[in-house]
Order: sequence, then structure tokens, then C-alpha cells
Amino acid sequence: MRQSTRFWIGLAFLSAATAFSASLPPDGMALISNGVYRPLFADDSGTRETHVKSFYLDRLPVTVSDYLLFVNANPDWQKSRVKRIFADESYLENWDGDLNPGGNAPPNCAVTCVSWFAARAYAQWKGKRLPTIAEWERAAAASESSPDGASDPEFKRRTLQWYITPNAPLAQVGQRPPNFWGARDLDGLVWEWVVDFNSALVTIAPSADDPGGNGGLFCGAGAQGARNLEDYPAFMRFGFRSSLEANYCIHTLGFRCAKDL
Amino acid sequence: MKALVFSLLSSLLALATPGYAGDCCKNALSCEAVAGQLPGASVYQLNSVWTNDFGQEVRWPSLKGQVRVVVMFFSHCNYACPLLVYKAQQLEAALPGDIRTKVAFTLASFDVQRDTPESLHDYRAQRKLSADWTLLHGNDDGVLELAAVLGVKFKKASQGQFQHSNLITILNSDGEIAYRESGLDLQTGSLVQEIEKLVKQ
Repeated sequence: MRQSTRFWIGLAFLSAATAFSASLPPDGMALISNGVYRPLFADDSGTRETHVKSFYLDRLPVTVSDYLLFVNANPDWQKSRVKRIFADESYLENWDGDLNPGGNAPPNCAVTCVSWFAARAYAQWKGKRLPTIAEWERAAAASESSPDGASDPEFKRRTLQWYITPNAPLAQVGQRPPNFWGARDLDGLVWEWVVDFNSALVTIAPSADDPGGNGGLFCGAGAQGARNLEDYPAFMRFGFRSSLEANYCIHTLGFRCAKDL
Repeated sequence: MKALVFSLLSSLLALATPGYAGDCCKNALSCEAVAGQLPGASVYQLNSVWTNDFGQEVRWPSLKGQVRVVVMFFSHCNYACPLLVYKAQQLEAALPGDIRTKVAFTLASFDVQRDTPESLHDYRAQRKLSADWTLLHGNDDGVLELAAVLGVKFKKASQGQFQHSNLITILNSDGEIAYRESGLDLQTGSLVQEIEKLVKQ
């Protein structure tokens, strides 16, 4: 065999191997391949599509038992020791003690009552990060059979049903079928933190800054710029994120981690 | 060479800068000790490291001890920031003399790319900011965390702009948020009142 042929075959093997290993997500994570996220509102330049690079996303929300390992290893994040600036007084409110979640926080339920800072610290500890809004929405847009569930009425109905059900009790993670990407519980269980939760500024005119809140959010003028007025869950999430502060700890708000490829 | 002269000049200037209270924690370890004495709700619990416009490292715990007015901004801002900084300057001018000497001002930039310590130093000169002002350049995580504790919403926009809320925050001498005012209304009355209350405490 000629030298150069051998070289090319070798290279082909090598690139196949690289491609294969690159597409194998880390344990417990799903590959969300690159695509487009259409934000609810166009940005200041009128762009209605954001390109989302491929990334890994935890298949499941972080559970109470996952989080217990974190507070064991990082005492600063135990409920009696956490700094108020990083987590309000509701931090791990449903836990019995620093290292004892107790009956109100079963091990296999999503951990909730955690702040953005806490979620971020957990992700860093795991060598991961929090997903962006664009990444999270891209992952959550998938139904069980398609990366874009928008065309699936059953998917839309089920998602909506959860968003309009007030205060469903905490349920165990992973009980429902995975979506197209292999991730579960992106809806139907808890709301989830994203790293840029505080970027939700509704700008109706390009030069307008946030006039001290999001008063324009639910009025007609604010909704005029919206992409899809039927996407009620997207409005709900937008409104919910806008109302958060980074140290808020809420019973229905958990998180999952993302990671670069 | 230019950089060397700049850093030499910066260190000299910094020695004469009252706004810089870096003595209490020159390194991470002693900073941790200072942070340990601060209230849990203090913004100075943040452990990100910033650089001021004199080229010196600034850690948040080193800023304790004075009532502080904090504004997040970026120097290339075409819309709101010039007004926001002007408002803070108006506030400085409106403070009675005995109060003014006890108050510090901090501008922290969203724009980690362009607002380098050098360009912030130019900004100080352009805007004629007094020695009581600290101008801070940070990294992405530092900016994200500061905005998060202050409750500032922001987003990178096109053409190097940022969309952001216009917030003036007043911290007490321990770095706890005492008062926040949002919007570009140039009235400084309530800010002056809040500061007077804090200084007299």
C-alpha cells in the first residue's frame, strides 16, 4: 500500500473516531445538536433567530440526593451557613437539616428552593455550567419525536396543561418519557434556572432601556413584537424569569446543568 | 514602554487616591478574613477580582468602610449611561460638604472587552470624575455576579451595545444594599436623603 493511501485511511479512521467520541455525551447528559432558537422578542437589531451551538444538557434536573453530595463537599452552601446575598431565607426551606433533606425533600425529587448562585456553584463544582435561555428553550422545544414540538398539538396541549396547573406537588424525576434529545422533565416538574435569567428586557423601541421594570410586558404594546402569540408557555417562562432575583429560592424552581462540547 | 509608564503612573496616582481603600485586604486570604466579618447580605461577599482604572486589583471586601454609590454602565453607551453617570455626579455635587467626604462612588463596566483599565482611565478624565470614584473593569463572570446581586438586568445587544436597567444602588459601609433607584429621572433628592441617613447612622 502506498504511503499516502495509508495516510488517508489512517486519517479517515482518526476523524471517524474523533467524531464518534465527540458525539458521546458525558454520563447523564444528552447532546442537543446545533440549531436555531427563536426568541419571544426580536433583539434590538431585529434579529428573530439565535443560533445555538451544540451542547450537552443534563438528562434530568438535579435531584435532592445529587445536591446533598454538593453541600457535603461544600459546607458554605449548607442551609445554616449560606450567605444571604447568595440565597434568601427560603434556601432549602423544605430540608430538615444541613445534611438531612428529610421527608419533604425525597432523594429522587428535583432539588428546589435553591438560588441562581447556588445552582451556579453546583454546576461549577461538577465542571459544568448553567444553560443559557437560548439553550434551554432549544432543548425544551423538542417533543418526544421531533426537535421542534411546535407542530405537535398533543405536545403543546400537555405542556400548556402543566403551566396552567397551579402548585402541583413535587414528583420524582425521570418518570415521563424522554424528549427527542433524550432529556426529561423540561416541563411538567419544576421551573429551571438559566444563567441569563436577568437578561429579559422588553425593548419595544431599539433605543428604549428598561424603564425600571417590565411594566410593558403583558400589555398589548409589549406583545406586538412577540414572535408567536400562541406560545403561552414561552410567555409564562419569560414572565417568570423576569420576576426573579438571583438570591430567590422558590419551591417550584430547580435547575439542571449544561456543558460545552 | 508605554504600558510600563502607565502602570508606574497608576501606582503613584493610586497612592494619592482616597477612593481606593485597598489596604485592608491586599491578597485573597486576608480578603476572606474581612469578608468573614461582613454581614451575609453584603455585596462585598462577592469574590470576583476586578481591576481599577489605575491598573490595580480590587477585591470587594476592600471597598468596605464607606457609604458607596454603585452604578453599572459601559463607556460606549449612546443612550442611558451618560445620563446615569451625570446623575451620580449631580448627586455628588448635591451632597452637603461634611457628608460628601464620607461617600464613595463606583462605576463597574458591563463591557469587559472595550472598557479596559486604560480606557476607563480616559473616561475618568473626560467625565472629570473626582478622586472619590472607583472605575472597575471585570471579567464575564464578575459582571454577571455583580449584576445579579444588584438586581441589574442586562443583555449584550448588537453593535457592541448592552441593554441594561438603569439602576443607582447605595450600599451602607458594610456593603449591604440600603437603597436602589431606577430610571433616568435626574432628581437626586431622595438619594441625598438616603445617603445622609446612612452617613449619620
